[in-house]
Amino acid sequence: MLRPLAKTAHVLVVDDSPTMRRMIVTALRGLESVKFSEAGSGLEALERMTLTPIDLMILDLNMPEMHGIEVLQFVRAHNIYSRLPVIVLTTRGDETSRSEAAASGATDYMTKPFQARDLLELVRNLLPENEKP
Amino acid sequence: MTTPDSEAPDNFGEQFLDDYFAECDEHIASVRRHLLALDQQVGEGRIDSALLDELFRSFHTIKGISGMVGFRDEEQLAHRIEDTLRAVRQGDLTLNVDSIDGLIESVAMLDRRLAARRSKTPLPVVPGEGAEANLPPAAAAGAIGESPLLTFSIEFTPTLALAEQGININSLRARMQEIGEILKSTPKVKGQGEISFQFQVRTHVDLMALPEWNSGGLQTVAAAPVPVEMNRPVPKIASSNVVRVDLVRLDELIRMMGEMVTSRARLEDQVKQARKTLPSTEWRAMFESTQTMARQLRDLRDGVMRVRMVQVGEIFDRMQFVVRDMARESGKRIIVDVVGQETEIDKFLIERLMDPLLHLVRNAVSHGLERPDERKSAGKPPEGRLTLRAVATGENVTIEIADDGRGIDVERVAERARATGLLAPGVPLDNARLLEVICYPGLSTRVEADRESGRGVGMDVVKSTVEALTGTLSLSTEMDQGSRFCIELPLTLALADVLIVAVRGQTYAVPQSTVREVFEVDPSAVRALERNEIIAHRGGALPLLRLSEFFKLTEPKQSRDGRFHVFVTGTGTNALGIVVDRIVGQQEIVVRTIGDSLVQVPGIAGATDLGDEKVVLILDVPAIRRSALQERLISTGN
Repeated sequence: MLRPLAKTAHVLVVDDSPTMRRMIVTALRGLESVKFSEAGSGLEALERMTLTPIDLMILDLNMPEMHGIEVLQFVRAHNIYSRLPVIVLTTRGDETSRSEAAASGATDYMTKPFQARDLLELVRNLLPENEKP
Repeated sequence: MTTPDSEAPDNFGEQFLDDYFAECDEHIASVRRHLLALDQQVGEGRIDSALLDELFRSFHTIKGISGMVGFRDEEQLAHRIEDTLRAVRQGDLTLNVDSIDGLIESVAMLDRRLAARRSKTPLPVVPGEGAEANLPPAAAAGAIGESPLLTFSIEFTPTLALAEQGININSLRARMQEIGEILKSTPKVKGQGEISFQFQVRTHVDLMALPEWNSGGLQTVAAAPVPVEMNRPVPKIASSNVVRVDLVRLDELIRMMGEMVTSRARLEDQVKQARKTLPSTEWRAMFESTQTMARQLRDLRDGVMRVRMVQVGEIFDRMQFVVRDMARESGKRIIVDVVGQETEIDKFLIERLMDPLLHLVRNAVSHGLERPDERKSAGKPPEGRLTLRAVATGENVTIEIADDGRGIDVERVAERARATGLLAPGVPLDNARLLEVICYPGLSTRVEADRESGRGVGMDVVKSTVEALTGTLSLSTEMDQGSRFCIELPLTLALADVLIVAVRGQTYAVPQSTVREVFEVDPSAVRALERNEIIAHRGGALPLLRLSEFFKLTEPKQSRDGRFHVFVTGTGTNALGIVVDRIVGQQEIVVRTIGDSLVQVPGIAGATDLGDEKVVLILDVPAIRRSALQERLISTGN
């Protein structure tokens, strides 16, 4: 499935901490042709997704209003986003959380604190082929 | 899961420290508020789970962002508090007064650590997990009830190296049987032809929490994952419309606006001068435009000022927190009354005021309020009362800290003051002088054996900080009734309304916030009292200070009838009338503090430009009053 090269990939960063969102976006600044949106809650994220198509989601788990897993389940139930790459980025490193995320359809899982270059590499690998540099 | 500081390759987190501290501040402020509410609920025997959720989330976020900026101890501390709260939330731990104390202590520690991190001062030591007696460990929760039966799937991949250490199928089977029951064991072929074994184990022990079940060739996962914190009702969207802005950017806006105010004043001046040369209708239209602009600028100014305003409630919470902590340590019982927490004040001012306010609160608790037995024998209720009050009055804000404790022993202070030569013998110590004396550098700590003196803030610092912010500090105290400190401040420092006064050909600006009233005086009304001049005013004697003498101005006075203007500053026995030749008018100015040594004159706070490109000096009224009062303290009675 080829899309024009000029297309900008749209990454949605979902985390209730504004500092953490800034860290994530900064870590990914090295990506070319990528634009970022931020959401401070699960509901905000879902709203954003229905308004603008997104190409990748970075999702925190422990958030007010709607837990990250609920967001993930909702996203997966949606036709358009059933194959959307979703990276769960959370402080919860236990296997229960990992397997729960995997069972709910997370594409990948990374724990906080994260290394900027690790996240960058992961996102780069998960972005659709023609968005890679 | 966490990365040691040293391994951070590029100190990635460091560039976010400003955001980090700001966000932590917000969370700690809300944590304080929620803990105080929780404390009350524990007393009433009911606990709101939403409150626990909020607390939990704050610590969760602090943990997350602390880890990112490489603050491991803060991360751990938040993590431990989070564990405790989780145990409470899951019903494994019951909150009582002691556990709340433990939480408050931990939060205070976290707060102190963050403050030290920010100011790059030595960090207070976080007690180790074992030493933290008051923070109930979440692990103890298991002892309360029977822990649930859990099922785990354990995958073992044997290797030669492991076998050499004695780790093999048989030793593993023995370990598993020690802790529970093996339900199933199946061999599995992995990608490269490698073989692994899969066990299903049922046990009361949470293997996930034990690292030895996830190392040495073992990988343990919960077999039937129990969804945690899911399927909770989804409340309404509470999207935050709050924007966080750096104060520096707002200062820049104020500065630009100040320039506009100045330009407008200049324009109005020029328009006024053009009156003779322009047809009257055209001139009027032009003049009215400048007047409209003045109103619009005032609205703009108010708008920008509002952006800088924060509610004092946040620092009141903080003070309540300190009080609670101190009360617990000292065995005192204290009720804190908070009034006017929604009052708004400039963010800059409130930050500068934090230490002085905390000092006053600590003083009230450690010196003012008595122990319950002491209070009872004095016929007072056993609970001491501390009142924190904020009131906005026009362009000023008053913050009051009052206690119903033992009051200041004025006679004792007077003795000390006389002994040190600060007070002339026979001179009574009224409230205004008392304040001068207890704020005398180095004296307060000697008069009151101040337990908090190690903190580097004394009454002298309280007073000088308030005055540096162009505010005034006042005190009233009565033996056995209590003490009340009042701090009165302008709403903001960046802009000020001033009176323009003329003295011997010089022009000065006087901040209106320091002026109580203005009136004209006939020279015949002035009486001499020893070395001072006084006039009768409002049923009392108002001491006068001639600005011309203060600044040693020698130019002749430009007034035919000898009448002059007086503006009053301070109240009660603290009041002083400052004599000027005349009041020229009033104006809004932009305050510039100047580092120029030429204007670093006692009694001068800064300079401003009135729009006619002439620099006008702004009077430092508190400093003038202070020097006058000190002179009176020494001179009276001589």
